[in-house]
Amino acid sequence: MPRLTVADSDVEVLLKPGETILGGLHRAGYAARTGCLRGGCGVCKVEVTQGSVTYAETVAETVLTSEERTSGICLICRAVPQEDTVIAPRPEFKLRCVAPFLAALARK
Amino acid sequence: MSDVLRMGYVHARVTDLARAKDHYANTLGLYPTLEEDGKLYFKGWDEWDHHSVVLEEGGVGAVKFGFKVMDTAGLERIEKKAQTFGDCTVTRMSAGENREVGDGIRVQLDCIGHTFEFYTDMTAVGLEVGTHNPDAFPRHLVGIGAPMLDHALLIGEDIDTAARFFMEVTDFYTTERAQTDLSDEAQTIAYWLSSMQKVHDIALLRGENGKLHHFAFQMRDWNDILHAADLFAMDDVPIDVGPTRHGITRGETIYFFDPAGNRNETFAGGYTSYRDRPTIIWTADQLAKGIFYHARELKESFTSVYT
Ligand code: FES
Ligand SMILES: [Fe+2]
Repeated sequence: MPRLTVADSDVEVLLKPGETILGGLHRAGYAARTGCLRGGCGVCKVEVTQGSVTYAETVAETVLTSEERTSGICLICRAVPQEDTVIAPRPEFKLRCVAPFLAALARK
Repeated sequence: MSDVLRMGYVHARVTDLARAKDHYANTLGLYPTLEEDGKLYFKGWDEWDHHSVVLEEGGVGAVKFGFKVMDTAGLERIEKKAQTFGDCTVTRMSAGENREVGDGIRVQLDCIGHTFEFYTDMTAVGLEVGTHNPDAFPRHLVGIGAPMLDHALLIGEDIDTAARFFMEVTDFYTTERAQTDLSDEAQTIAYWLSSMQKVHDIALLRGENGKLHHFAFQMRDWNDILHAADLFAMDDVPIDVGPTRHGITRGETIYFFDPAGNRNETFAGGYTSYRDRPTIIWTADQLAKGIFYHARELKESFTSVYT
């Protein structure tokens, strides 16, 4: 199972097979700035600094360009990590813990 | 009086036709009327024309919007006035360019980056309850059973010119307006425009050209809105905001996203408007209450997410 780590934080989630980055973060009691949750608006973009992601659903080129993909940008609402992955969100990502007990559970 | 009857169709892009079909047919309960060349056509049960929603595979966002016009004389009036208006490109479209839609005119408003089509004829399919001694609603509605398309909110840079187009060319009137303040230099943030007695047929919000904020389906009442929200939970539809009430238009609402990320709305209530009703003004300092009457707080996703 891929491990998701958020750079410069103590956030670490063991992802379930096929789980998106956002799915894992939510399950682990974290919230972040998101929009459509459907890969259509692009507000949930973050940089993947280690690891790789794939998409189970079609993502429009107008939302995530191929240049962005190759430079490591992903849409967390749709991106599924294939291996241990580190993301480095910008401040506007507004990652915050909304349920500490879930965060503790997700580490195990 | 306006020659425009209503917003007849929304043509939008979706990333995956099969998923879109599931959402629009099974969750929203629209009736699929045609599937052809990578496009899906739908109508609501209380609509009589062939379609009110067209979905095309590839990308997200709006392709164009159709307005149904009363008659050919009205269409000619709109064409003439659009040509005199100037700040738009007017072309003729012929029957068949859009499936089941007759001759009309196409107007491109570069000031907001959106395209509008005006037509008088669309193949009649009929109300699902029929016209002779009809029942109140079809017994076997699917999902939320959305009766009909209601309006759309479009985003663009120069909404002042666009609003002027709708007022001067198609004779819409402004039911409500949001503006920076009450001074003479105030800038308009958004317009709500009506052709007849609906509280709005189209709304315009200042922002990036060519973007779609949402398109909305008319629901009967607050009970149906709550019921719709329950079904969205069952179908795992991401809800952006609601169920709640708008200060602006007084409508009852839920905002949610289709599988491609286009925002939809279920809209009920609002008031019956008249051409001589005073225009309602919302100032920026009270905009949060105008948009979400109960929470009185703007939601970041609502104001910054669009396709
Ligand atoms: S939230 Fe809209 S693309 Fe991820
Ligand atoms: Fe709306």
